[in-house]
Amino acid sequence: MDRLLATGIDLTTSTLVLALVSLGLAVVFGLVRVINMGHGAMLALGAYLAWSLTGAGWPFPLAVAGAAVGVAAVGFVFEYLVIRHFYGRLFDTLLISWGFYLVVTELIKVVWGSTLKSVPNPLPGSIAIGGAGIGRYEAVVCVISVLLLTAAGAVLYRTDVGLRVRAMIGNREMAQMLGVDAPRLYRGVFVAGSALAGLAGALIAPLFSIEPDLGTLWLVRAFFVVTVGGLGAIVGGTVVGSALIAGGTVVFSVFSPQVFAQTVVFALAVIALRARPTGLIGRTAVRA
Amino acid sequence: MRRPGPETLLAVPVFVALFYVPYLISGYTVFILAQYMLYGVLALTLCLLWGLGGMVSFGQGAFFALGAYALGITVRELDSPWLGLLLAVVLGAGVAGAVGWFLFSANVRDSYFVLVTLALSTIVYVVANAQSGLTGGFNGMFVPRVSFGPLSLSGDLSMYYLAFAVTLASYVGARLVQASAFGRVLVSIRENEDRTQALGYPTALYKTAAFALSGAVAAVAGALYATDAGFVSPSLGGVLFSTTVVVWVAVGGRNSFLAALVGAIGISALSNALNSVVPEYWQLLLGVLFVLVIVFFRRGVVGSLLMVGERRHARR
Repeated sequence: MDRLLATGIDLTTSTLVLALVSLGLAVVFGLVRVINMGHGAMLALGAYLAWSLTGAGWPFPLAVAGAAVGVAAVGFVFEYLVIRHFYGRLFDTLLISWGFYLVVTELIKVVWGSTLKSVPNPLPGSIAIGGAGIGRYEAVVCVISVLLLTAAGAVLYRTDVGLRVRAMIGNREMAQMLGVDAPRLYRGVFVAGSALAGLAGALIAPLFSIEPDLGTLWLVRAFFVVTVGGLGAIVGGTVVGSALIAGGTVVFSVFSPQVFAQTVVFALAVIALRARPTGLIGRTAVRA
Repeated sequence: MRRPGPETLLAVPVFVALFYVPYLISGYTVFILAQYMLYGVLALTLCLLWGLGGMVSFGQGAFFALGAYALGITVRELDSPWLGLLLAVVLGAGVAGAVGWFLFSANVRDSYFVLVTLALSTIVYVVANAQSGLTGGFNGMFVPRVSFGPLSLSGDLSMYYLAFAVTLASYVGARLVQASAFGRVLVSIRENEDRTQALGYPTALYKTAAFALSGAVAAVAGALYATDAGFVSPSLGGVLFSTTVVVWVAVGGRNSFLAALVGAIGISALSNALNSVVPEYWQLLLGVLFVLVIVFFRRGVVGSLLMVGERRHARR
């Protein structure tokens, strides 16, 4: 029973952490149709900024906010210089943002070096739930993940800005004729996605060791979350995709080694992708 | 008879120069250049997919690593390099063919194909790390210099000329594919897959065949790399190495096999030379160069030079 409870907790935390990491990618991919390979580097940058800021004596929540702002600023510059010229050219955005990934990863190595770093856990200790337990900090990260997902949904479906964004995605020309400032909205969405990536990177920093390439594996997993869940279904798709990718890994690793579980889940994700190219709960087909 | 184009005119001096390198320089250069030529073969396999067929694979390193481990493990367990080479070809073609058919037959293309190839290289990396009994895990495995029949590769010179021969054969082979009916269908798929399909070509089959061919050749290059370098580690299959191949081909030039080959050899040589001087800044520069090439020179550095030659060629 306790084992089952522990697995359940593991399932929930893995799902919510992965959803947190994937949300920025889902926002950018789903709304402005940019395949942001740079998302991985943005995660790493967020983690490093959090490391530096906490090291400089900032309280952890402030450091996380600082990391989000910092990565958002980098995203803004990248959007302004490069990405805005490539909206609508999905495949080119993939290659260009891979270039961004390379440049930012190398910059991280120049600034912070390649040695492993770690951010001390800001909330040590754990909470007992029945016979099992959950780290206090993990619990907080899960709550933040839920709040962010809810907020993303609320902004998109309950506010004026969200309405404009949805109008712009539905029919860009028509929305522009009705007075929507599309270039500004595109930029806003891209910067918001970058901020979410920085935030996620900073929040997961105390949970894993930090290295310049830490975003690579997360990037692959986040991509599967977004494509398996379904493009355009930002909140629902991210949750369903995360539950399948993270949850699948947890379930399989009950019977088999962790690495094997990860491999099996990737293979299953590829099969899901083939069977339903629009994602499990996506509606519109996207020709990549 | 048709006059040779600028690519052929440039290819001849490149290969002649590569042939004479060991006459002029010896020692480390000969040792390391053999590896770079095998990297060049790997770049050719991506160029076949990307330049001809318009399919970008972020997983060529996976096939390279498969070939390297196939040779290394077969030589260790059965002491047979021929069998190792055969296994590399079968694995490379088999995995690429199976994955390719699975995806292409369901019309999975472009970005989703990139995603799956990215996952492929992640899987190879993770599995190679985990199966330490077979692959040596994170620490990698040592592979001796083998002999293929009477050809012993123990000397750097024989290794160099084997790598040279394989590179030349791959290049000529790639050019022949390009000129063949098969190659023209691939170009047609790149330009407009739906129309090609409407004309009655089974495009999924063509793409699968191209992917299997590129997987097999990449695995052979990997197998030879294993015995050449003497060491195989999981990072060969990793995302970083796989995407390095993309950088070579993009910066060299995706539309020309020679450009891709020169890109791979040139960037590897420059990386080696500059890594000891300015390690971080060189990789940074390479990243910036990659962005510039994607944004401004879609033909790449060498490809743009060839383009100038082509214009003059056409004017005459």
